Amino acid sequence: MDVAQFRSELHEWLDAHHDDVAPRFAAPGTLDDRIAQMQRVKSVLFDAGWMRYGWPETVGGLGGSPLLRTELGAALAARDLVDPGLFSLIEVLVPTLIDFAPTALARVVVPRLLSGVELWCQGFSEPGTGSDLASLACRATPDGGDAASAAVWVVNGQKVWTSLAQYADRCVLLTRTGTPESRHRGITAFLVDMDAPGVTVAPIEMINGEREFAEVFFDDVAVPADRVLGEVNGGWAIAMSILPFERSSCFWQRIAHLYRRLEQLVAVAPRSERAAELVGEAYLRLHAARARSRATQHRLAAGAPLGAETSIDKVLIATAEQAVYEAVGRLLPEAVVLDDDAASEAWRSGYLYARAATIYGGTAEIQRNIVARRVLDLGDE
Amino acid sequence: MMDASERAMLAAAVRDALGRADVADAALDEIGWREMLAAEPHDAIRIVFGALGAANAAASVLDDVVVWALGVQPRPDLTVLLPPFGTWNTPDSTGLVSARAAHATELLTASGVVPMTAVELEPVRGIDPDAGLHRARVTPRRGTPAGAVAWEAVVALGQRALGYQIAGATRTMVDLARAHALEREQFGRPIARFQAVRHRLAEALVAVEALDAALAVAGDVADPMAAALAKATAGRTARAVGSHCQQVLAGIGFTTEHPFHRYLKRTMLLDGLLGSADTLTAGLGDALLSTRAVPVLGNL
Repeated sequence: MDVAQFRSELHEWLDAHHDDVAPRFAAPGTLDDRIAQMQRVKSVLFDAGWMRYGWPETVGGLGGSPLLRTELGAALAARDLVDPGLFSLIEVLVPTLIDFAPTALARVVVPRLLSGVELWCQGFSEPGTGSDLASLACRATPDGGDAASAAVWVVNGQKVWTSLAQYADRCVLLTRTGTPESRHRGITAFLVDMDAPGVTVAPIEMINGEREFAEVFFDDVAVPADRVLGEVNGGWAIAMSILPFERSSCFWQRIAHLYRRLEQLVAVAPRSERAAELVGEAYLRLHAARARSRATQHRLAAGAPLGAETSIDKVLIATAEQAVYEAVGRLLPEAVVLDDDAASEAWRSGYLYARAATIYGGTAEIQRNIVARRVLDLGDE
Repeated sequence: MMDASERAMLAAAVRDALGRADVADAALDEIGWREMLAAEPHDAIRIVFGALGAANAAASVLDDVVVWALGVQPRPDLTVLLPPFGTWNTPDSTGLVSARAAHATELLTASGVVPMTAVELEPVRGIDPDAGLHRARVTPRRGTPAGAVAWEAVVALGQRALGYQIAGATRTMVDLARAHALEREQFGRPIARFQAVRHRLAEALVAVEALDAALAVAGDVADPMAAALAKATAGRTARAVGSHCQQVLAGIGFTTEHPFHRYLKRTMLLDGLLGSADTLTAGLGDALLSTRAVPVLGNL
């Protein structure tokens, strides 16, 4: 199915099935509400087939271009049916399973994630490991000492900023399996069951009062060897393989969400010269981010590898998100600062969340370092 | 449509022609610019204006684009009345005219052709005398109607052309600043190794790439709003790149010995033609607030 046809049929279907997918709570709702809503939407859309386009048949998909699932995520975000930050986690989890998990495992677990039966998280960051991912220390050791013959691996250590860990059934976990100095050569990925004995989750309260991410502790957690993703000590390839998805479909969904926020802002903001400047600024930034992301996805669909140049996309989308909420903060100051009705809560939560746009997924400074080193080719610092 | 190798050949020919000739208009005449415009308007505009910007060449080919968009056959002795600085509405009696005013016989306005004898011209020196711009006042007179072309479509094409020119200029500014940063040494190492300098260059490149992307959407989407967004992005990019690159170029960029100043001044001028970053941004914002809608332009 081509992308334009998919888009128009999808929107037609969503119009016709509005009651089946619309939230049953007033925005923003609690995180529990939004998670339940997302799982419900995934379930309905999986049954109707929409959730399966763009994924290969080996994992329960219906095939077709990955752009189809990008369109789906954007349509759901534009209609406020799901929170794109939560929904698009699929994009950084499923491709890993498809490319690196044993086929039998992927065939069983991926449809459970896509259909909303399960929810997974991604255990990458650690207290001492932010942008410098190759420094991670959470350790996995082969039970019995021999990596080749071990039936079980034992995990000890800590992860942090793990989104939705307290809701998750499984975790794509990066561990240290080489020497501490082995850096990117000594990392192994596992698919770990979150109900395994020894896994403890401690949610962290964010600046907007929500508990979207958590610390996760692993104390002698036994993981079967058939849950190794990719090669032992080959985990870096997995971490790197996620980038194209994070920088294409995830961004596209976030951008759709931000257009929706701007639309809500112009629906209520009084018309004035100052409002025109702030809204125009946000619109310009958002359009630039979308235009760039569009070009990136066309390159990806044409088979081009994505790399350091997508740091430009990241800078543009972070700038756009903050421009939208800059306009919100200045045009609706009482909603953001004082008022306690649901609509104001939603503006406040979004405003505060946007402060992280230049922090998560690699800070604005790290992105500029990457652009300088690898795109502008300025040499080492 | 041209294919990639034809585009590359044309771009090389335009660069070569601009590099050899003192007078950019003559060089573009020689390689058949107006024929290219008629045959392949999209590619011709992108390539010629990009090259003009990159070379900081002054030419009056925007006249041809506007004339052609108004449905009139472009010719070297026909110039056009552009809206006053910073604006994009249909100019009635006052506006700007390019360097072509010096030898043109007629002036095209949105409502028709008038002889140059009916146009009061005042040469503009300003920040960029090389551009050869004029302020103009047309003595009201009934001219030949230019055709039923919507002015907003004319503006959109002109905005895209200017956007490509600013894209070419700003990318060159980044190249100049990058080269300087790699060459200039302080404290025993190239200043390109200082993170503060690297971040400025990265920021400048991000702005140029955003402009390229906005121009690509404006080329694919017929909605004139896409062209306005691209032109506003161009003006903003010019401002960001101008300030970051000036700072990286430091002392030498403050002198007329280095070519940077020409690009800065030219892009400041180009920003004001057919709507500036400031006026267009406010106009777009007001359009959103008055329609209570946010158009999403350019699909996957």
